[in-house]
Parts: sequence; structure tokens; C-alpha cells
Amino acid sequence: MCCVCSGSRGTGAMTSRGSPSRFLTSVLHNGVGRYVRQLQRLQLLFSPTAADARGARQFVEEVAVDFARKHPDVVLYVRPCSNPTPVLVAEYLNGTVREELITSKTSEEILQLATKLAGQSGLDIIRIRKPFHTDNPSIQGQWHPLTNKPSILTVRGPRLQAQ
Amino acid sequence: MARRELWSEGCFRRRCPARWCPLPGTLLAGTSGEGPCFLEETDLVLGAAVIMAARLLVWASRQLLAGAGAGVGAGTGRLTFKTAPRQVKKRWLRAYLEQERSEKPNWDYHAEIQAFSHRLHENFSLDLLKTAFVNSCYIESEEARRRELGLDKETIALNLQDNSKLAEEGMSFSRSYLTQCFEGAYPELPAEGIGALVDFLTSQELVSYVAQNLSIQDLTLCKEFPAPPDVLQRTFFAVIGALLGSSGLEKTGIFVRDFFIPQLIGKDLFEIWQVVNPMGLLVEELTKRNISSPEPRITRQLGVSTVLPVYFVGLYCDKKIIAEGPGETLLAAEEEAARVALRKLYGYTENRRPWDYSKPKQGLATEKAISSS
Repeated sequence: MCCVCSGSRGTGAMTSRGSPSRFLTSVLHNGVGRYVRQLQRLQLLFSPTAADARGARQFVEEVAVDFARKHPDVVLYVRPCSNPTPVLVAEYLNGTVREELITSKTSEEILQLATKLAGQSGLDIIRIRKPFHTDNPSIQGQWHPLTNKPSILTVRGPRLQAQ
Repeated sequence: MARRELWSEGCFRRRCPARWCPLPGTLLAGTSGEGPCFLEETDLVLGAAVIMAARLLVWASRQLLAGAGAGVGAGTGRLTFKTAPRQVKKRWLRAYLEQERSEKPNWDYHAEIQAFSHRLHENFSLDLLKTAFVNSCYIESEEARRRELGLDKETIALNLQDNSKLAEEGMSFSRSYLTQCFEGAYPELPAEGIGALVDFLTSQELVSYVAQNLSIQDLTLCKEFPAPPDVLQRTFFAVIGALLGSSGLEKTGIFVRDFFIPQLIGKDLFEIWQVVNPMGLLVEELTKRNISSPEPRITRQLGVSTVLPVYFVGLYCDKKIIAEGPGETLLAAEEEAARVALRKLYGYTENRRPWDYSKPKQGLATEKAISSS
């Protein structure tokens, strides 16, 4: 029944409650120990003759080798094939595969896109519920309704220091 | 068989994605290239009411599919749990997705190994690293395959070493290094506690999870796909063994620290170390420190006569409080208070100083001193 109602508002214009969301998180606590680039490989599939793949071909001729040198941890596969549309496929360490169309994009735009993909982790690009996350939300102890109420015992004294 | 299959979850969508096939045995030409779609062996006993329900189900599913739109990428994240499938997976697509990465197009093993080495910011010797990924089950299955193909003896014998020696070295080094780290950081924690922490960190589950998120399963050579967790664990330890051979003790220690110790973030000591009798353990620890045994007293209580009471029990040694813990019953509260007291004694509280990941000055000894702060 609920799926019938959503049809009236169009494909993606649901409220954020209806669309998927996640918490801010990182793969394997990346960055705590050392930073591991999450992008594993980039596949550039383009046609050698089509007009809309001109930017892709220029990228391969001019910029791709520099990009590969600057990112030695990303494997760049360049494959001219009879694709209908030129596409950049990014694979991440956590298994996500992202395809970006680069039809009629210039070489600089493709470089920008590739750099952006290289900086992302493979987590879903959906609404992040809060822009912060902590594993230790409380230092002095989580408040509960009995925190500052007097104890029923009359014995008081300094807390024993654990030595 | 067919009727149960037909009405099981998601099956209807899978078999007839966008066409509704009313009659059994009907062959419908696929317009969108999805191939013919037909029902076989369906009972005509399905009443009209059931068929109406089927029509509604398919129409609703079509709405859902239209609404889902082009999701981000076709893959699922290994990190998150899988929710209900968003798009219909065709049979050939499913077969493609179930292949290993090395069998899909665009794969260069040597380049991938080099990138792996750079990604971890380590200088591996590539021979050792390649050996680390070869499992004995792979060698056996390859040789068996070649024997079946009828090749001669020279071609059958693969000149590959397997990773068992490297895996052993890696495992023993990781365990001893982690034990040293914890002894330095938590000097009060007894040997069983440290053993429990190290066992948790080197357990199959955790190590295979870490290995999967470093995509070691793409590079591993093994018999089955997907690689089972024990193979991934062995391969990861073999990689550590390879690093030991390439870069020495210090760098490998930093590597182990960087990948294993963050897995303790957010975990409580007694989640990892199962202690059956915390009160008994607490009494032992206090007698070792020459403190009198604790006396439990109720400090706070709420809702005693209701279905959900809350008791706070405090443990007092020489009339001074050492810990307080809540619980639903008095016994549970006393046990929790004992656990809180143990956490305080061992220095493994939730508000302890976070682990120090800064670069050590020289050698493991200095590192121990820094991490015990």
C-alpha cells in the first residue's frame, strides 16, 4: 500500500524520511591507524572514434599518465572498446562499484572527476544523518535520572583511587 | 514445487519482471530483451482471487522499480548489510557478478599487487608478497586440473611456494607484538585478559573482515570462490609475514598496530573477555592489592514494586566506594558493580586515554613506554 502512494510524487522527490540515509562512518576506521586510499581501480572505457568520447581520448593522451603517477595505489585501466557511451568505472575496497558517464566531458573535467573519485570511500552517497560521529560520547559518564540525586546511604567519603 | 517458488519472497519479480503472464505454458516474446517469460507447471487451481492479487503485486512492484531509479552503481557495499534487492538481476548478470574479480575484464595481477603495496604505504618485496597470496589449496587444485587435462609431469608441477610458512610467521609475530602492546598499555590487566584480547584480534572473523575490506580476496589465489574466512585469515597473516621479511620488525609492528588495534574502538573489555564470576575475580584482585573485600550496598533504587525495577549497588571497601553498577535485580546489579570495579582496576574504562598512534622514536621499547601513558 505504501508503495502505491509514492508514485504520485515522482521518482526521487520523496522526503528524506523516505529516502535511504546512513550515519557518518568510515571503512575499517580508516585514518585512525593509517590512511588507506579507498579507491582500488579505475577503468576508463571509451570508443576510439565516437565524437562524445573526445574528452576521454584527450584525457588518455595528455593527463592519464600523470594521474597514474600521482596515484600509485590506484590501478588505471584504459580500454578503447566499442562502448556506446564513454564511462569511468571506479571500484572501491569495500566492494562498491560506481560508474560515471563521461560523455562530452573535457579532459580537465574528467581529471576533476577522477580526483574526486579517488578521494571518496566506497560508502553510499546518501543523506548522512549527522555530520559527526564519536565512539566515546561520554567522558564523565552518561547522565541518567539518578545521577545527581543523593544516595539512600549516609556513608560518604572520597572515592578510592585505583592504583 | 513451482507454486511455492512462485509465491516466495521476491520470486515473482525475478521470474516475470515487467510482464504479467496469466496462463501456464504461455510463451511471451520479451520486448526489452529480457528473454521469453513463461510460467511452467502452474496449477490452474489458482483461483481468480489469487490472480487478482498477483496483478496488484506486479503493478505495485513495477511502481517500485520505476521509483527506485538508477541507483548508485550496481554493486553492494561489503561494509553494510544488504537490504531488499533494488533492481531485477538477470540470470546472466547474476552469473557475472558471482565471478571472481580476476575472471572479469580489466585485470592485471602484477599491477594490482604493486598498487596493493603502495596503498598500504609499505615497501613489500614483490616476490614475497606474491608468495603470500598463494594458498596450498590453489596449488593442489591447479595441479589436479592440469593432471586431468593430461599434460606431462613437467608442466603439471607448479613452481609455486605456498604461504603456510609466511602465515605462521605472521601469526606468531602479530600475537607476540599485540601481547607486548597490551602489557605495556594495561599493566594491571592479567594474562587471561590480555590473552582474550589477543585471541579476539587474531580471530578468524575479525581478520577475515579486515582482509575483505582491504580487498585481499581479489588477490588471493585459492580453490573456492568466494574465499572462505580461514583462507583470508591465513593470507592476511602471510602478508604480514611477507612484510616481516621485506621491511623488518619495526615497520611490521607499526602495520599490525595500525590495522588491528582500531578494531578495539567501541568495544568493552567484558564483551571480548568472557568472565563468568566477576565478583570472585574482583575479590582475588583486591586481596592481591591488600585491600579488604568489598561490601555491596544498595545506593539507589527505583520502581522496586513494579515490573521494571532499577537497583544501583555500590561496592564499598573500608567504607569507601570503589564502584557502582545498575541492574534489574539485586544480583544483576551487584555483578555489574563488580564488572565496573574490575574495569577501573584494570584501567580499561570507557573514558580512558585513546591509543597512541604517533610514530615511535626508536625501537619497540620506546613504543611501549609511549603507549602505556
